[in-house]
Amino acid sequence: MQPPARTGKVWWQAISRNLPSALRFGALRSRLPQDPPAAVAHARRMSLATVRSTRIGAVRIWSPQIGERALALARAIATTLVTWLPLVVILAVATVVRIWSLNALGYNTDEAVYSGQAAAIAQDPTLSQIFPVFRAHPLLFQFVLAIVYHYGVSDLTGRLLAVVIGLATVYLAYFLGRLMYGHAAGLIAAAILALMPYHVVVSRQVLLDGPMTFLATLTLYLTAKFATTQRASWLYAAGGAMGLTFLAKETGIVLLGAVYTFLALRQDIRVRIRDLVIATGAMLVVIAPFPMSLVLAGGGGAERTRQYLVWELFRRPNHDWIFYATVVTPSIGLLVVAVAIAGLVFLRRRRGWQDVLLASWVVVPIAFFQLWPVKGFQYLLPIAPPVALLAARALTEFRPGWVATPIGWAVNLSWLRPLAVAAVLISVAVPTLAIVSPSASGTFLAGSGGVPGGREAGAWVDANTPAGSHLMTIGPSMANILQFYGHRSASGLSVSPNPLQRNPSYDPLKNPDLLIRNNELQYVVWDSFSASRSGFFASKLLEYVRRYHGRAVHTETVTIPSASGVNVESPVIVIYEVRP
Amino acid sequence: MITRACAVLALLFTILVPGQAIAADPPTQTPIKHFLFLLQENHSFDNYFGTYPNADGLPPGTCMPIDPTKPSLGCVKPFHLGSQPISDLLHNRETFVGQYLNGKMDGFVSAHIAAGGLNAEQIARLTMGYYDARDLPYYWNVANRYVLFDRFFSSAAAGSFMNHMYWITATPGDPNHDSPPTTGFGDLLTIFDRLESAGISWKFYVQNYDPTINYRTLQNAGDKAAQAVFVPLLDFNRFLDNPYLFSHIVDMEQYYTDLRNGTLPTVAYMAPLGSSEHPPGSIQAGQRLVQTIVNALTRSDYWDTSAFMWAYDDWGGWYDHVSPPQVDTYGYGFRVPALLVSAYARQGQVNSTTLDYTSVMKFIETNWGLPPLAARDAAATSIASAFDFTRPPRPPAFLSASLATPPPVEPNRAVLYAAYAAAIVLALGLLLVATGPGLVARAVTWSRAFRSRT
Repeated sequence: MQPPARTGKVWWQAISRNLPSALRFGALRSRLPQDPPAAVAHARRMSLATVRSTRIGAVRIWSPQIGERALALARAIATTLVTWLPLVVILAVATVVRIWSLNALGYNTDEAVYSGQAAAIAQDPTLSQIFPVFRAHPLLFQFVLAIVYHYGVSDLTGRLLAVVIGLATVYLAYFLGRLMYGHAAGLIAAAILALMPYHVVVSRQVLLDGPMTFLATLTLYLTAKFATTQRASWLYAAGGAMGLTFLAKETGIVLLGAVYTFLALRQDIRVRIRDLVIATGAMLVVIAPFPMSLVLAGGGGAERTRQYLVWELFRRPNHDWIFYATVVTPSIGLLVVAVAIAGLVFLRRRRGWQDVLLASWVVVPIAFFQLWPVKGFQYLLPIAPPVALLAARALTEFRPGWVATPIGWAVNLSWLRPLAVAAVLISVAVPTLAIVSPSASGTFLAGSGGVPGGREAGAWVDANTPAGSHLMTIGPSMANILQFYGHRSASGLSVSPNPLQRNPSYDPLKNPDLLIRNNELQYVVWDSFSASRSGFFASKLLEYVRRYHGRAVHTETVTIPSASGVNVESPVIVIYEVRP
Repeated sequence: MITRACAVLALLFTILVPGQAIAADPPTQTPIKHFLFLLQENHSFDNYFGTYPNADGLPPGTCMPIDPTKPSLGCVKPFHLGSQPISDLLHNRETFVGQYLNGKMDGFVSAHIAAGGLNAEQIARLTMGYYDARDLPYYWNVANRYVLFDRFFSSAAAGSFMNHMYWITATPGDPNHDSPPTTGFGDLLTIFDRLESAGISWKFYVQNYDPTINYRTLQNAGDKAAQAVFVPLLDFNRFLDNPYLFSHIVDMEQYYTDLRNGTLPTVAYMAPLGSSEHPPGSIQAGQRLVQTIVNALTRSDYWDTSAFMWAYDDWGGWYDHVSPPQVDTYGYGFRVPALLVSAYARQGQVNSTTLDYTSVMKFIETNWGLPPLAARDAAATSIASAFDFTRPPRPPAFLSASLATPPPVEPNRAVLYAAYAAAIVLALGLLLVATGPGLVARAVTWSRAFRSRT
């Protein structure tokens, strides 16, 4: 069962030569054989070992002697606890950081849209009048949420569903890590993912990227199973999972490139063309309900989706090219990324198919979305589990031992590994704890969390504006939030009347003056989040307030520290009534 | 002297302490604590609502003879006016008599032709024109949600001024003249006198109000001379000379201010100047004015305790097929459109009670316990049947100024559910196929182990 090179003699010789070489990753040996046939044999051994140990426990339980049975049971429980307790703790921590102050802030615009769609599918009497069922993306997550919404629409319910899916991803990351690098790596990967700010933040929101990441990780797991077992049925299952990934969010299809890159780079993973075709076919069959439902369900879904595709292909960049490097990398964790890269670099000589698969899973989406003009904070979420795994693998392989000092003594540095693991976990835990604590700010990054004051402003709109009210906001983001919580129609002033330059989901306000003069638009809503992004339209919006007897009827504020350090109430959303 | 001083003090108090100028709501017979009444201009019921479903509208087969005495000259059928240019049709006492024709109601075209003038016959045909939901979507939407009266008659079988006098005094004013008197009215009582005596707050809101124009300054009023007709209080000497009373006549902007400040009077009359719908003026401008007034009330704190009503001062020369009952020497005139908006208004009711302007006055008098002004309002039927006070007030709603569009085609949810459920089942099936051999092998191993030990 022991890998042949892990003998104490070799180990001691290696570390006793000098300190730097002892800390080298390359000086250590992987527990897993690197060539696929050996991997298969190793997997079989592991499987038999598992069965054997289980059988011992099982047989003793059937022994007629009660004491032995009790002992066997205690052993079985102890074994189970040792194996699973760390994972249970990790999942518990993951749960806590994901539900802590989960609903302190209301939805952001994307959450409002997806929840609105789910409510429309569930035929909520009010929201189905405001939110169309078909917008831009496939509806797998909204479909699941709609089933929940049949029992009542609530923002908390939607977010809890997202949390459950996020926890499932953490759970899956453990199994993926165990499959690729062993139990310890699986645990470390799950722990990193459990605390990673990027994954925590996104999996607390009703976004499509969380479910897509879960299904993408499932695809990754099934692909790894195929690589491990060389059994085609795993590849077919991976095709099916990839289909579901697409149905969660169509950008998940990018990961198909990662699979093909992996298979192309690792020629030792033998894939028959026939199996590849069947797996691709399985993916297409699973995807098929999406276009079929667009065509068969009616309601203009096909047309709207086509318009969205055209717009998405030609829309202008919304962030600069360093967006992901400067925003997403710190969110994944600089130390995590550094450790993952260090692992890839220092362990390059013993690079196995696992590393290639994970690297492909990371590099392909990054390359794609870096080239793609439109960038979003949450778009790269599928790379979070493989990055966590790469970091976990590096940490697992990092095993410093006895080191000779200049004065001739040998020092045991084995404590460095748990320290390194702890340092990595703390490096992600600290920002995560800061993020999940409720705080308010006058600025906002799409996809990074809830919008302060949005839910409360919407609730005010719902309670204090007559049915049939129409609101004008600076942009469509706040309009979506007010529509979800306020149950009133709202339109963004910044939505371009040029169909080539607007999201086809939104209708432009072609002539706000006329609408106000005709009493078709009764409220104007200014918000600091949109104003910080579009000063021009914020200023234009306030012109309408001045021109049409605008009167502030409601203000949402957040408490922020002023330049002098004193906390002050700063308005973030102001609702004006206007009239001809 | 003392009276004048008190009046000045009261005025100063009103101006300086607006928030407290109006005392607590006086006791009422109904939940209506505020009543607003706007009088627009010159349209008959059939002209606006002749094709409204379930209302007493244009009878099928209507064709108005060009000359009732010469059927061979043909007739004019009702036709949709749309955006067609229109004229200010004749609408005075003589026109009424010619169109009414002792109850035969077949002189609507011939009366215009008989009056002569340029293009008389062409203009006379216009009398049979009508508007519908395409032209008046907001009014029709209001009718769908609140109350439309289809037997609401103008009080006087005459033109604007006499009807405006009925509006505020329940009398024709000067029975010999359908225009502001040259010396003004003296002691003639108005509804506002009744309110004032009872200590009930009131105001007269005027769109584009010019306080310098009244019956005394008509010579220099130019285009704004209509103010003295539409705001008949400006023809009363005491309302002009008493600063306190005069201060109750204010610009329409004050209405929006009062709603905001919580100083809406108990009773308010309203008059348009600019958006009156008086032909050939824009009917859409009138719609916008009414909608703005209603919207402001809808989103104010007064919604639950208010009623807003608007009607038209006379038929404007347009065709209406219902012969008006002649209740006295002066009226009724032809039917005019009238609509009621209130949280307590019955939903989508076409109210067919026989009413006139004094019916509204009757409701005000009954609600606030005021004595009648004259025989007409004493005998009038109140508009109370349009309310339903047994139900809680309806929540406020903005009505659209557009025709109700058909709801968008809803996607078939069953197809959606089936499609995505099928996708999940397919993927799970593939997963089961992949894990199947492993599961079977594990089961076999367990089974063998069990058997070997037993």
